[in-house]
Amino acid sequence: MKIQKYNSKVKREFKTFKFLLVFLTFSFYLLTFHLREANAQQVSLALSPPLIELVIKPGKSVLIAYKLENRGDPTIMSAYILPFQPRDNLGNIKIKNEFDGPVRFNLDNSELKLNQPFFVKTGDKPQLLLRIRIPEGAPEGDYYYTLLAETQAPPSVAGTSAGRAKATIGSNILITVTRSGQLNIKGKLALFDVLSKFKLNIFGRTINFFESSDKIPVILVIDNKGRNMIKPQGEIVLRGNFGEKASYDIIPQNILAESQRLIMATSAAQIDCRDNRSADYCKRPISLLLSGFFVGHYDLSTEINFGTSTTNLYGSTSFIGIPIKLIIGTVFALVIGVLVIKKFSKEE
Amino acid sequence: MKSQKYKFKTKNIKTFSFLLVLLAFSFSILTFNLSQANAIEMNSTQYRIQMGDVNIGAANNQESENGNLLSNTLGQIAAGQFDSDGYIVKAGFQYIHSIEPFTFSISDTNINFGEIEPNYPETATTDLSVSFGSGGEYLVTVAEQARLNTENGDYIDDACCDVGCSSVDKCTESVSALWDLNSTPGFGYKMFGEDIPTTFTTCGDKCYRPFPDTSIPEDPAVIMSSPDVTVNLASKPKDTIHQSQMTLKLNVNTGQASGTYQTILNFMATPSY
Repeated sequence: MKIQKYNSKVKREFKTFKFLLVFLTFSFYLLTFHLREANAQQVSLALSPPLIELVIKPGKSVLIAYKLENRGDPTIMSAYILPFQPRDNLGNIKIKNEFDGPVRFNLDNSELKLNQPFFVKTGDKPQLLLRIRIPEGAPEGDYYYTLLAETQAPPSVAGTSAGRAKATIGSNILITVTRSGQLNIKGKLALFDVLSKFKLNIFGRTINFFESSDKIPVILVIDNKGRNMIKPQGEIVLRGNFGEKASYDIIPQNILAESQRLIMATSAAQIDCRDNRSADYCKRPISLLLSGFFVGHYDLSTEINFGTSTTNLYGSTSFIGIPIKLIIGTVFALVIGVLVIKKFSKEE
Repeated sequence: MKSQKYKFKTKNIKTFSFLLVLLAFSFSILTFNLSQANAIEMNSTQYRIQMGDVNIGAANNQESENGNLLSNTLGQIAAGQFDSDGYIVKAGFQYIHSIEPFTFSISDTNINFGEIEPNYPETATTDLSVSFGSGGEYLVTVAEQARLNTENGDYIDDACCDVGCSSVDKCTESVSALWDLNSTPGFGYKMFGEDIPTTFTTCGDKCYRPFPDTSIPEDPAVIMSSPDVTVNLASKPKDTIHQSQMTLKLNVNTGQASGTYQTILNFMATPSY
């Protein structure tokens, strides 16, 4: 009886051991070989439209429908508005830390409020119905804001040092408050010139020199001295000494009140500096890059207006193209040729 | 007695078989049939706005048989304008024809350094991408909420790079400098890829700079920017996405208090105006 009991105990323990062995083997395989890599928390946001320009009377309000799209992992977001100012003359912005100005903003959505978190799952495209209201006594002038949609930082992982990132995407709102519709437009040409390596000052006049095959970088900066933003229209015209002419349209980029902006011409979009960073024209932003074989004197002029019934602005500059490489090559070939001829003449 | 023993044995075999089947089933389900979690459709119980903008398409320069060019845009993603009593609204850039919205992505928001050992610098990377088909110019900035810190109030200083914090040539929020020595402590980053600040391209791939600290306060630093107004539509595939990689570096010296150091980095992408 005792032996039987012992055998039964041994068998039971053996079965328990077998069960544990199988269980542990499964667990080992499951945890060791089939663990997928931990997926990083990805954020991908899209916001449209990227820009709103609004000219509005005091006492009026307008509703703008924004589309926010979550192309990344599910996340908690919040939307808020902050004013901005120009960061530089390139169209970049600097968000202010605190809200100011008379313009009032709120979301007309039933479930979404500004500055309050909301959940956005992957692929969701919530519509943000932004109500912009100008109080009756709001002073005339321009007010610039950015609608910002911000994700929350991921939760911290215990025991590891980390930088937790949150992403914010913005869309700019340019508001001009006017009672009569009359705008204060005061544009001025701040700079219109070519970026040349060789300049010569003769009798107070600067002459720019380029090698004929060089690309000619042109810079056009417009200063807005008025209280309202302006949108330049016009062209840059290149005239050669043989009557040839080429014109390039200016892109009507907004110049905010009391600020400057480097204005671009249409062909500037073709400038690709990713593989050619050492080029002079890639070292700083430019308005236009002229390419060709320039020989002789060339005039560059620009004519700009800011809409109907505004005065035109004119600017001009010039440069001289000299085929230095061609001349050096020709002289070198001539010298070699003369030497060869002389050598053969002596031998004869 | 024999029957009882047999019953007992049969019961054990059944239990074992059950466990085997259960484990095999669990194993199969957990290993081979894991599918992506399907999120539950969530709708408002009150109402859902289905109108308000028409984002159905746009096209640029469609050439007809007689050579005329047609450029059209629809909805608020593309440029549009409407007038009403007392206001005029223009949505989008009037000179850019694109249906690609302004998009900003970060590949990994939890930039983990693991356990840090003194004088053994750790690095971690995250990829940034910006699509600016309808945004024209854009800017991406970054700033840290505070220095890397623990709950106890210990912190790791932002990097000054190899020359040290007393040198005028140290790396700053706007200028990068060489950080190659294992003995140099600090927290900083470098950038690689498109549209990055020239300080990284001119200095080299061992150059870093510290994050601006908004608690001081310091202004966020520009890490990506492009003055390109339009994308290069002639390129194949169309170059509508600009990408860069941020490498974060962390190193401590032997005197650093042990603990879990964390901070929040705020990446902000804004289009131009």
